[in-house]
Amino acid sequence: MAGSVQRLWHKLFWPWAPASEREASEAIVRNLWLHWFPAKVSGRSMSWSYSFWLGTAAASLFVILTITGVMLMFFYVPSTERAYGSIKDLEYAVSFGRLLRNQHRWAAEGMVALAFIHMARVFFTGAYRGSRVLNWMVGVALLLGTLMLSFTGYLLPWDQLAYWAITVGTNIASQAPVLGSTMRYLLLGGNFVGQQTLLRFYVLHVFFLPAVIWIMFAYHMWRVRKDGGLAAIVPLRAMRQAEPKATPQSKSYSLFGLTPGTSVAVMSSMGLEERDQVASSPNLTRRMILVFLTVFNLTLLLAMLFNAPLEGPANPSVTPNPAKAPWYFVWLQELVSSTTVHLGSITLSGGLLGGILLPAILLAALIAWPFFDRSPANAEGVWFPRQRNRQNAVFAIVSVAIVILIIVGLYLRGPYWHLYWPWSPRPVLPRVL
Amino acid sequence: METDRRTILRWLGKGSVFAAFVAQIGAAARAFFPNVLYEPPTTFKLKPPQDYPQGYTFDSQHRLFVVRAAAKFHVISAVCTHLGCTVQWRGTEFDCPCHGSRFDANGKVLSGPAPSPLPWFEVTLSPDGLLEVDSAATVPEGSALTGPVEKA
Repeated sequence: MAGSVQRLWHKLFWPWAPASEREASEAIVRNLWLHWFPAKVSGRSMSWSYSFWLGTAAASLFVILTITGVMLMFFYVPSTERAYGSIKDLEYAVSFGRLLRNQHRWAAEGMVALAFIHMARVFFTGAYRGSRVLNWMVGVALLLGTLMLSFTGYLLPWDQLAYWAITVGTNIASQAPVLGSTMRYLLLGGNFVGQQTLLRFYVLHVFFLPAVIWIMFAYHMWRVRKDGGLAAIVPLRAMRQAEPKATPQSKSYSLFGLTPGTSVAVMSSMGLEERDQVASSPNLTRRMILVFLTVFNLTLLLAMLFNAPLEGPANPSVTPNPAKAPWYFVWLQELVSSTTVHLGSITLSGGLLGGILLPAILLAALIAWPFFDRSPANAEGVWFPRQRNRQNAVFAIVSVAIVILIIVGLYLRGPYWHLYWPWSPRPVLPRVL
Repeated sequence: METDRRTILRWLGKGSVFAAFVAQIGAAARAFFPNVLYEPPTTFKLKPPQDYPQGYTFDSQHRLFVVRAAAKFHVISAVCTHLGCTVQWRGTEFDCPCHGSRFDANGKVLSGPAPSPLPWFEVTLSPDGLLEVDSAATVPEGSALTGPVEKA
């Protein structure tokens, strides 16, 4: 039985059984699925404690999101009248519909978190230098794309959160200099939040942004290989190059019998030795499947334990009090709340300063950072090298500041966006209309 | 360098194909700016003036407050000038639930991120005896429609 399954598998996907080490490598190159991977991979770059496989985990979440998202598309109606009802149907009328939506939601929030933590890992290990600068930028774009997918995604249920997030989000866009109001008109498909707006964000969410992310993700992975794999092997390669090469003994046949001599030392194209590397399949593929299954089961567990939030149906005349963005945007809400400045007669709105300029500066700093990195080459591919202490401190401080703003926004803000201690009672307000 | 007729024609040919391609992209992009909007008009009628009690009345359909002081009427927008949430009247001031802006009874900014006061809309009495508001026309603070109740 198992033998016939294997024969069928080989017939379909692997028509050529390898007979030697070399042939095994070639077999990987010739396999439809495995040709994505290098034939050989270093044990060092597969280390759990170096990368924590964060990128793979984020990519696994994206696969889960694509599959659950396509399934949700069969039930969701992108109409302002029926969107909210179709979400309620998913929750109460569709078998396992709630589970599906929950898993999509938690996978999405997980992807935002993991994409950021993955970026932090790359930063703290100094793995964005040299030829990897371009891939670092692609990574920043992927993080931005992930945030845009999240934003367009939580608008679709057309609940109160969705409606007021679109209202605030597009008003922030309208504060941009010169093109602001055009951008708002384009995003809304008019001057008011309505059916056109929902349809635009729907198409962005289910086709445009995922397509862009898939293409960028493919490029991201291709560049990892073209840049010589993970930066984890940089210290190992330096060590190998510094080692005196033992030239292996060889024997050749001459007229007078065996003649002892020496042969050349063989290094792989990665600058590593044979003993540093193993075949990608099954060593890399097995770990990948393990990461995917772990991530899948975690999201499923979360989906079973916690329900995705859904507020009341969109009501254009009443703003929830307080109206809070999801955690990954609430730090921006804190910024726009407190960055309106008055310079004489000129007033700069928080929408422009905290909603556009400050995030743009953060983004520009991320993109430009590698060009100002002057740390030595041996600070690459290791965690928290002493030579990068100051750089890592800057990254950590900015990250902690963002986390503090998130905590303030989530737990300390009460009605009318006033500050309260988590334990102090919030006023119970009559619905003043 | 001498350019012969053949080269010029070749570049004209290639150029026109490329120009057509770019124009197509432009046309596709233009489609995303709607020409016809199915949006409510900016001028609309409210209830007759005598239906409004003294003080502040919220009109949830049009997101504005009708303010009546004796026989004087004015209309203040309920849309926060910061990022567009609906402000709430709290007896003495307007407060915004999104980012904490506060406005006084006349819409002037007390505190918070709002960059400008809540606008006052032009309000008139329509021939059929209803309050009529033009939300595209703002009037200075202190303007008011006087005396429609006595007339009615």
